[in-house]
Amino acid sequence: MTEFFNIIAVGLLLGGIYSLVAVGLNLIFGVVRIVNFAQGEFVMLGMYGTFAAQMALGFDPYIAPVIVVPLLFALGCAVYWLLLRPLQGEPMMQVFATFGLLMALENVVLAVTRGVGYSVNSALSQVSIKLGPLQIGLTRVIVLTAATAVAIALGWYLKTSLPGKAIRAIAQDRRAARLMGINVDRMYMISFGIGTALAGLAGCLLAPLYTMSPQIGANFIMPAFAVVVLGGLGSVAGAYAGGIIVGLTEALAGYYLDPALKQAVLFMVFIIVLLVRPQGLFGIAGAEEVGLREEH
Amino acid sequence: MKLTRRTFGGVVAGAVATTSAPSAYAQGTTIKIGAVNPYSGPMAQYGDELSLCFELATEQANAAGGVLGRKLEIVRASATNAQEGIAAVEQLVGRDKVDVLIGTYVSAISNAASEAALNNGKLYWETNALARDLTDRGLPNYARSGPSSNEFAARSVEGAVKIVAAKLNKTAKDLKVWIEHEDSAYGTSVFKEQDRLFKEAGVTYGVGTHSARAIDLTDSILRAKNAAPDVWMSTGYVGDTNLLLRAARDQGFKPPAIILLGVGDTKETLDALGKEYLEGMLLISYARPDVNEAYSPGAAAFLKLYRDKFKREPIAPQGMNAFVGAKILIEAIAKAGGTEYEKVIKAAASFDKPLGTYEAGYGIKFNEKMQNTRAFPVIAQWQNGQVKAVFPDAAAGGVAIVNIPRA
Amino acid sequence: MKNTETPTMLPPGAYIRTLRRELPVTAAVVAAMAALVILFAGDSFSLNILATTFLFAGLATAWNIIGGLGGQFSLGHSVFFATGAIISANLFLVFQLSPWLSLPLVAAVAALLSVAVSWPVFRLRGPFFSIATMALTEVALALAIYFDRFTGGARGLSIPFRLGLENMIFRDRFSYALLMVGYLALTLLVMAIVTRSRLGYSLQAVRDNEDAAMASGIDVLRTKLAGMAISAALTAVGGTLFLMFVRVVDPPTLFSLFDVGVKVAMIALVGGIGTIYGPLLGALFLVPLESYLRAQLGGSVPGGNLIALGVVLMLTALFLRRGIFGAVQSAWHRLRRPAL
Repeated sequence: MTEFFNIIAVGLLLGGIYSLVAVGLNLIFGVVRIVNFAQGEFVMLGMYGTFAAQMALGFDPYIAPVIVVPLLFALGCAVYWLLLRPLQGEPMMQVFATFGLLMALENVVLAVTRGVGYSVNSALSQVSIKLGPLQIGLTRVIVLTAATAVAIALGWYLKTSLPGKAIRAIAQDRRAARLMGINVDRMYMISFGIGTALAGLAGCLLAPLYTMSPQIGANFIMPAFAVVVLGGLGSVAGAYAGGIIVGLTEALAGYYLDPALKQAVLFMVFIIVLLVRPQGLFGIAGAEEVGLREEH
Repeated sequence: MKLTRRTFGGVVAGAVATTSAPSAYAQGTTIKIGAVNPYSGPMAQYGDELSLCFELATEQANAAGGVLGRKLEIVRASATNAQEGIAAVEQLVGRDKVDVLIGTYVSAISNAASEAALNNGKLYWETNALARDLTDRGLPNYARSGPSSNEFAARSVEGAVKIVAAKLNKTAKDLKVWIEHEDSAYGTSVFKEQDRLFKEAGVTYGVGTHSARAIDLTDSILRAKNAAPDVWMSTGYVGDTNLLLRAARDQGFKPPAIILLGVGDTKETLDALGKEYLEGMLLISYARPDVNEAYSPGAAAFLKLYRDKFKREPIAPQGMNAFVGAKILIEAIAKAGGTEYEKVIKAAASFDKPLGTYEAGYGIKFNEKMQNTRAFPVIAQWQNGQVKAVFPDAAAGGVAIVNIPRA
Repeated sequence: MKNTETPTMLPPGAYIRTLRRELPVTAAVVAAMAALVILFAGDSFSLNILATTFLFAGLATAWNIIGGLGGQFSLGHSVFFATGAIISANLFLVFQLSPWLSLPLVAAVAALLSVAVSWPVFRLRGPFFSIATMALTEVALALAIYFDRFTGGARGLSIPFRLGLENMIFRDRFSYALLMVGYLALTLLVMAIVTRSRLGYSLQAVRDNEDAAMASGIDVLRTKLAGMAISAALTAVGGTLFLMFVRVVDPPTLFSLFDVGVKVAMIALVGGIGTIYGPLLGALFLVPLESYLRAQLGGSVPGGNLIALGVVLMLTALFLRRGIFGAVQSAWHRLRRPAL
């Protein structure tokens, strides 16, 4: 039984990682409706930013978001404005542009670092908490906590603040939102910026868990899409729950079945859920049908 | 000098494209060695390191007057997969007119590139690619100067049976081992041989497979922890190995001995885990440049060459293995009196030098498949933040094994 | 400001040629490509690039049938590509069956497989369909590595070098380049026929407006499945040719999301999606560019060639919205009607 609880804990903590990575993508995919292949690279940039902050300024990884998050917000706004806004209404070209961006970002980091696997260390990274028979690393608890906090904060922001309401309005009906006097382009830019900044935050908090490589972003992107679609487009609660479900599925499959098969099980479950409930667990029915050609 | 069709072609091509290197072609004497390695993607760092060390070997030879009165030159081509490996060979042979080819950090690239080299009638000299199948193909233009995955697997089994079992006062039959490996060709090749050797030795073992791209490997660690092994050994890449070790630390998984194959011996792992945690971890790896000089003559000279040129420490011990390989190739070309693959392979096959002739402790004696049978990795250990060779005894030079069973 | 809410979804070839008038054009294009190969005879570096170019041109043309004509933006075609390669490899290794003879079989198996997996997935539209196909790729890759009996596992399969036309194994790159031109010809022919057939018009109707297509009596699911089956069959044939071209294949390469699945879609997009010759143009632009950048920059700065390629891709997306074919077409129209 201990074993079972232990693996559930592992799954929940992994779910925290997925939620944190997916919550930004949820804004970009759910609101701006861009299949952003480069989202994993934004996480990767967040990690390297954390490393740079530690090297140059001696910042602990958990202080690094102070600089990394604003920088990535600016980067996200710039990417949207210069690369993706001109391609509005050409969703396939947008996909393709984000793919080009992915290649460029990954390889710029490779060229600069020559591919050396960096690690950052925090005072907290070696602490392991004992909870009865369970043992969990503090860094992962922080990630899960942060994921929860971000989900609540973002949900609250979207629900109560004026820009948040505007973002939700656009997500529901872009044309009507424009008629209501919302500056759609600007709100899209802000949403994309927030989505990128959240990826950067994820990068900071994940940096103490991993050894960085320029390619690490690619490991996150597929599960992140699975989480967003599973949870339901544009639903913050959905992305959070989706992350937890994906984390638990992976941990249980890895432990009880075979670690070599966990990816297969994970994506199989994803496809099945998608087929049974195309709108995702928390999505509005029909949302999945407006996509690449929503403007028709 | 006999004017063969190839050299004639080289002269003509040189006359056409002389802007970049006029002197080389004017003399018509440069031996061009094409280096096939990944310079982008996840293996970029190591691919680059290998080619840098090929360059060191050629520079050393050039400083000593070159070979057959000709200077040597390394020409690079990038390949990150089999298909690009073929393209790289076509580029090197077709466009850059190289005489021989050398490589490779990734086995799949070596596999495809060496066949493309054969189609072009060129030698493919392998230094680092590990998969055993590469030499088992019996390609007439192919030889491997360094150890294969089998030698790595054999050393890891030796480490478990000879070193760990002795320290734990157990016989091989009582020893419990957990073999963890990543699921690509590299981890699988090593595992296949470990599987055979452990069965032969009567050791009981469990097996775990993981993907090097996994976001979390705690499940793999929990499975191993349940088996309560005496030795936990892992074959992986840098990222997943560090992730496994971090999960093991978080989960309080403390096997009496840990053996890491191929990786885990670099600064990348030291930075990630810290020297206290790594203390006593065993490593199956190429001999490092700072190994005991009696075991690995010339290692200190290599280290000096490397530091002088690149102003830094070697990234990984793979580099010296590449350096030795290139050196043996150059000797074989010298003995063959040319670069045609039949001649060079014949010359290399005639070498018979005992262990401890070269850097990394290698000798040369190729078997009929042109695998060097006198090239072995060593067993090293993390001791106080440094990697020290501990086995075989000649490499250890009196360094004692510490912290087994792990405190 | 341009009204982005109403994108032009005119069929890219605004004037319609009949099949009878299309086929000579196709033949001329293929002949030009064959001439290109002959022009480079003896230069195996260039021939190798041409062979790769035509292979990917063929794959992108095959993808274009369902992705371009049918508007089903699949990113999972690597599954069919791998199916072809793995089945042919097994038949060759176990039964010494010539790859020529296994071609019809792999085409049939891939068609059936595509129908089986697409049946449920076609319920999804737009990006959801794309993401589901990507997930399928991940599942297939993990299973292929795990169940290694037929795939050789991670170590993959190697085809022994048995020279001969009957084995589709050649020493020279020239023969491979011509082989790939043949494959390109096959895919172009099928594309030309499908475009001018009832199926082709149904696919375009489904692409432009699924609900309207259904309302006008088109069996949407059946149309999509038929388009997917043809596309998958041709892709599997490409997989077999790739196998014999490289002779070393492993699941991570075959099922690669980026090197196969995304790449073929991207080539079609760059060239001109939904057009007959667009994918060929895309391949003629992208594949040599990629090879050139790798040869020029690959050895110096780590990843330098891919940085350049990424930038080129972004610029292409920004400035060639309708692909090379679209750009050429509008230039042509401007030239013919300067008054406009």
